[in-house]
Amino acid sequence: MTQSSASLNSIEEESVEGLNVVERPSIWSRLIKHPSVLIGGILILFIVAMVPGASYLTPLDPTEINPRNRNKPPGYEAVYKTDEGERYTVVAKMGTDKLGRDVFSRVVYGARVSLMVGLSVAVISVSIGLFIGMFAGYFRLVDAIVMRFMDGLMAIPSILLAIALVSLSGASLFTVIIAIVIPEIPRVVRLVRSIVLSIREEPYVEAAISVGTPTAKILYRHVLPNTIAPLIVQGTFICGSAILLEAILSFLGVGVPPEIPTWGNIMAQGRDLFQIFPHNIFYPGIFLTVTVLAVNMLGDGLRDTIDPRMSREI
Amino acid sequence: MVSNLENNTTSPHASNDSSGAVLSVKDLSIALPKNADREFAVKNVSFDVAPGEVLCLVGESGSGKSVISYSIMGLLANALKVQEGSSIKLQGEELVGATEDHMRDIRCTRIGMIFQEPMTALNPVMTCGEQIDEVLVEHTKLSASERKEKVLAMIEQVHLPDAARMYDSYPHQISGGQRQRIMIAMALILEPVLLVADEPTTALDVTTQAQILHLIKELQGDRKTGVLFITHDFGVVAELGDRVAVLKQGELLEIGLSSQVLMQPQHAYTKMLISSVPNHTPPERPAIASDAPIVLQTINLVKKYVNSNFLFGKKAVIAASDVTLEIRKGETLGIVGESGSGKSTVARCVTRLIDISDGRVLLSGDDIARVPQRNLRDLRRKVQLVFQDPYRSLNPRRSVGQSIVEGPMNYGKSKAEAWQKARELMELVRLDPDGLDRYPHQFSGGQRQRICIARALAMEPELLVADEAVSALDVSVQKQVLELLEEIKDRMQLAMLFITHDLRVAAQICDTVAVMSEGKVVEYASAEELFSNPQHSYTKSLFEAAPGRGFKFAREV
Repeated sequence: MTQSSASLNSIEEESVEGLNVVERPSIWSRLIKHPSVLIGGILILFIVAMVPGASYLTPLDPTEINPRNRNKPPGYEAVYKTDEGERYTVVAKMGTDKLGRDVFSRVVYGARVSLMVGLSVAVISVSIGLFIGMFAGYFRLVDAIVMRFMDGLMAIPSILLAIALVSLSGASLFTVIIAIVIPEIPRVVRLVRSIVLSIREEPYVEAAISVGTPTAKILYRHVLPNTIAPLIVQGTFICGSAILLEAILSFLGVGVPPEIPTWGNIMAQGRDLFQIFPHNIFYPGIFLTVTVLAVNMLGDGLRDTIDPRMSREI
Repeated sequence: MVSNLENNTTSPHASNDSSGAVLSVKDLSIALPKNADREFAVKNVSFDVAPGEVLCLVGESGSGKSVISYSIMGLLANALKVQEGSSIKLQGEELVGATEDHMRDIRCTRIGMIFQEPMTALNPVMTCGEQIDEVLVEHTKLSASERKEKVLAMIEQVHLPDAARMYDSYPHQISGGQRQRIMIAMALILEPVLLVADEPTTALDVTTQAQILHLIKELQGDRKTGVLFITHDFGVVAELGDRVAVLKQGELLEIGLSSQVLMQPQHAYTKMLISSVPNHTPPERPAIASDAPIVLQTINLVKKYVNSNFLFGKKAVIAASDVTLEIRKGETLGIVGESGSGKSTVARCVTRLIDISDGRVLLSGDDIARVPQRNLRDLRRKVQLVFQDPYRSLNPRRSVGQSIVEGPMNYGKSKAEAWQKARELMELVRLDPDGLDRYPHQFSGGQRQRICIARALAMEPELLVADEAVSALDVSVQKQVLELLEEIKDRMQLAMLFITHDLRVAAQICDTVAVMSEGKVVEYASAEELFSNPQHSYTKSLFEAAPGRGFKFAREV
């Protein structure tokens, strides 16, 4: 024992010196260097800036009906009156719709609804899914029941659910969010559950059990942190698909009430005159596509940088 | 049959090297990527492998031995670059700088390969026969029936029973040892001049390992194949190697005949490594006082796993049956067995990580087998665990200190007290107390295992359960951790349950040893008795299979 403890110490010192482990560059510097995070992030920043900046971008009320300016092409100089009766002209950058409303103003204000739906669906479904998924994954008894229920939820098509909800409680932003959230939850639950299932078998969780850590603390300290990265990634994908789904629902007339400008509503109202005045569908369509693309690019990039484990799975 | 096929498979490149070596590596240097911990993975390494010779490359983890094997096979990761002036010659033909197409022709036909993990090296959706056949399809022009005949003959040569059934089996349907035999069949079917084996027996049980080593020796001897055998185990070197090369941090320290290097190592590092290999004969140990209190007692412990399915009824797997053991204060009980023998099940039962199906577990006299989970808090404190994998047993997101103080704070210690205690424990396990603020990835495997021991000791347990606690460590580190465990056990008068598959480790640390096989304790005796005079046939077969058993290693005096 004694003669070997000398060698023991010498080796230990050596390995302590060799302890300068290579630190990976910080998460932020890696994120910024990732091209799809960079491009997606910048595009989203532009769209998000349209929310507070809407009144600077356009002086017009997106809901103001003006029969004289009906169905004008992009570039038309529309004449408006102030309350005091003064006349002024505004160039309709994206033309006007069949009620004479300025499409550009509607598109700019429509970003609010789209982002609102995307963000709230992502936050709500991720938080509910996280909670249920942690329970289902950690407590095996709950699992069988909860997961069968989730399978049932997953089978509900969100469009039919939205129609049902709208006929029950009337069209509103809230109904649309609920209709999109419900079928999204099971996907989050499945993801969280699968992570929890593998983490609960990790020796460090068993070690925590054997030092007497209460279950709630184990979930919070040891299990929860592992779910954060994949959930951020999953959240961005949910956000993208929710924006798209809101537009589809509005386009079908079962979404947000028609007087509220959303990209889906603008397209829905331009549908009958689409062949003659394509700008009604073209411009909101471009914004919708770019937004969803940007959100998904951001999600892809986040997945590659913060959670390399998942990059091959989904 | 074999002879007329050989014409198809022998290489067109006749051996024209004057030295006659199959493989000749000269001044091989391989650079690591810029931000790695050292500049070169391998630096100026030179060696030859003669026909029919087994050269063992030995080194601890990170010594660059696998990098050498990959560079020979042309499978180096892109980030690693073979440096200028390096030369790898196969029968005189330069392989450094060879095109990928050319290397593909050479692999299998002239260089055969076997890897560590046969399950991942085989394709799970193809039958074993098809996978061997694929080699022939790629590299020969034989007809389907000729190929089948040749594959079946090869399966027989690796001593697999019922060749036709093996041909149609999928990898998951056969055992690990059989899978490794399939790998060997695949590697040798084209009669390569060189076989590169990268830790091919590390994942196998000791008895299977002995058979595989024997098979490799037999096949390469018959065919005069040169073998480059990579291993970390000096027992395997003693068993198989004609010559041995010792690597440290990418540098070749010593190369020579196995017997010479093992008995009279020249380099200090080799001496240290060889002296760290645990001895097969147990050292003299002070007897445990017969009146020492019994800490843990299991009486007819049974653990059954019942797989119930409403379609196919219930299926029960008995993981442990009728296990009766006892440990006294200050005693180390070893449970030895191969994978699937139920040794870890016993450990998890006595720590109540899993529930017991039947029998009794007495901890200081209290039966804990039936205590409901919520009343387990007191038990949890008394029994602590050290796990096998030092990389997974600490939460990577929590600092070492946070991991150590978690337990004491659960039991009401104040934060200041717990951290003070953690500092003392770090010193006890010979780590710098300032390391408490660091995260697990900043420590080496051995250091992490010390941290796990400190975490267990923070609870002031009566029983320490070490589940393969040193199996994942290099021999020199293993030795240090074993010594630390021994010292702590003596100082704190702990009872220790030590689970291992390695007989040599058990011989060094255990007072009493229980040998388990298929869920049962087949032999239970003091270490001294068991190692000098094993009774049960299974114990005897384990002893015989242990590599390098008869070999006298050089020991530091």
